[in-house]
Amino acid sequence: MRVALALLWKDLVTEWRSRDRLVAMVVFSILVVVVFQFAWPALEPDEMRRLASGVLWVTYVFAAVIGLGRSFAMELENDAMTALALAPGTRGWIFLGKAAATWLLIGLVQALTAVVFALFFRQDLLPGAAGLALVAGLADVGICSVGTLLSAMSVRSRFRDVLLPVLLIPTLIPVLGAATRASAATLAGDSPPWDALQPLIVTSAIYTILGFLLFDFVLDE
Amino acid sequence: MDRSENAGVPLERTLRALGVLMGVLLPVYAWTVVQAPIDSVQGVMQKILYVHPPLAYGAYLGFVATAIGGALFLWRGEERHDQLAVAGAEVGTIFCTLMLVTGPIWARGAWGPGNWWVWDARLTLTLLLWFVYLAYLLLRSFTEGDERAARFASVYGILGVVLIPLNYWIIDLVGSAMHPSNIEFQGRDRSLGEGMGLPFAVGNLTLFFAFAYLLVLRWQVGLRRSRLEAQADA
Amino acid sequence: MRGVRLEGVGLEKRFGRVAALRGVDLEVRPGESLAVLGANGAGKSTLLRILAGLSRPSAGRFEAHLADAADPLSRERLRGHVGYVGHASLLYGELTARENLAFAARLHGAGTTDDALDSILGPLGLLDVADRRAGTFSRGMTQRLAIARAIVHDPDVLLLDEPFTGLDEVSARRLSGRLGALRERGHSLVLITHDPRRAIELAERGLVLHRGRVRARLSAGADFELEALREILARLGREEEADRAA
Repeated sequence: MRVALALLWKDLVTEWRSRDRLVAMVVFSILVVVVFQFAWPALEPDEMRRLASGVLWVTYVFAAVIGLGRSFAMELENDAMTALALAPGTRGWIFLGKAAATWLLIGLVQALTAVVFALFFRQDLLPGAAGLALVAGLADVGICSVGTLLSAMSVRSRFRDVLLPVLLIPTLIPVLGAATRASAATLAGDSPPWDALQPLIVTSAIYTILGFLLFDFVLDE
Repeated sequence: MDRSENAGVPLERTLRALGVLMGVLLPVYAWTVVQAPIDSVQGVMQKILYVHPPLAYGAYLGFVATAIGGALFLWRGEERHDQLAVAGAEVGTIFCTLMLVTGPIWARGAWGPGNWWVWDARLTLTLLLWFVYLAYLLLRSFTEGDERAARFASVYGILGVVLIPLNYWIIDLVGSAMHPSNIEFQGRDRSLGEGMGLPFAVGNLTLFFAFAYLLVLRWQVGLRRSRLEAQADA
Repeated sequence: MRGVRLEGVGLEKRFGRVAALRGVDLEVRPGESLAVLGANGAGKSTLLRILAGLSRPSAGRFEAHLADAADPLSRERLRGHVGYVGHASLLYGELTARENLAFAARLHGAGTTDDALDSILGPLGLLDVADRRAGTFSRGMTQRLAIARAIVHDPDVLLLDEPFTGLDEVSARRLSGRLGALRERGHSLVLITHDPRRAIELAERGLVLHRGRVRARLSAGADFELEALREILARLGREEEADRAA
């Protein structure tokens, strides 16, 4: 547990000092939102309303891929990954610390993206904001856990920038399917439906447990 | 052929038994399919029924083999388990690809022009499975170092097999909420017509054992190769 | 009694077709220092990573025993008893020297008080720069901080992979002195180097690897001396060239 907190602290401090991952993710997210504007010019606000959940989640997933890719890229400089592998005890805690740091970062980027989206497309997202935050928070647990596991692998492969999305996106389909449905309900003013939250909870729990257990093999060499 | 060369090769007897079984089953399979009645509505196209659904065994069991091989490899660190995982993934990919090719052909034939692809639950699941297979094979080939590649692939294989039921659940959930019109397409579940039961059963049996045969064959090839490499190096 | 005994029997490491180690036996007793010599590609680093618990041998047996225990340490626990200095510094450029050290200490469950960290930074001459970011350090300072990172949990064995690379003569001599001081305090050293001078300075035994095999074992008093080592390395170099020509 101490190890997880150490990782979280280290990731947040280094991130705060360089801010390159945060900036890259935010700029990218805004660009994706802008691309949607050009893909559907002159869409009325209430038509956009129906698409909002999908637009947000497409943006969130792509931004998450970028953030997760960087998560271990920074461990490769000076081979700091080896230092992590040298830590005694269960390596699952290292996994949890890394995943938690990315979880916070992605959540921040998602909130900013939602604000930009609301402004650009003249949407009032405030009433559904709490529900959206809940759904995103849950979904992000799944995204960050499986993403952290896969990022630690893909970062030490050739073509890592292509490999990560190819590995990650199929695993995100269950999360994405449930999250878009739950978000659509929230944005329509309802509370998120239980039958969409349930798969989010189950998937996130399974991915976190698998990540915790399997991370040991990923750090080995 | 030099018999002594094969002495002590693992799986040799299993492979031979499966080979004999295939030799018997394949002609029977072909014959029953030819003899099966032509469907009154779909015509000859309907005979794809004897190929397409039975392919699913290979597509899904391939991944089960990959996950089991991967888990054993992580646990014991023995190369032969990794070879099983590779065999499962490669043979499974073939079955999965054949399913994805025959599915649309059948859909087009059954539901008319333009219906090459429908997002029905099973086809969608197969497509996702295919992507997972592809990702698995890409991960293997892009990772430096054979041992590391095997380890990473094992992790992904375990993740992949967990993904199948999760995806099934989600497709069901999303599908029923967003594409209610697809439900009417699920007509292929209706009971089989007169004389179609036997070829369907034989098809299931044959393709199941065809999968088993190819799996064991590919596994053996992998084992032989690693043995030769070890000999060449010594 | 304090200390860890490392023992490898018939260690092999194979990456697909390539075998990096082909049956290496070695033993490092508590408090003892061993130098591993050999040309590039001899398998030195691979061997060191197995000793660090980073890598599993493909074949053979590697065990680490606490001096007074019968059962071998698990790899999880072994990692708490070794310190490792690799080719790269294993440091974060964005963090200061002190923060880097504190992070490493937390990973190892060691003390992170200022006093504890200062007592490591001080002897390595890093107190004045403790609050500068590691990314701004010179090669020599980085190398000293890398060693500080490796000993933050007071390991029984310190594993060093070519620690003198990239250092000028003065810094190298100073580093050698500091490593010697660590040895005096009871740490075992396993030093990988291609420089026979440093090997003799810091170790009492030497192991020469060539293409994944042990080609010579030398110990103090007998033939672990500069001339003998140079001659062995030169002979292996000629052998290599002859092989390549053939």
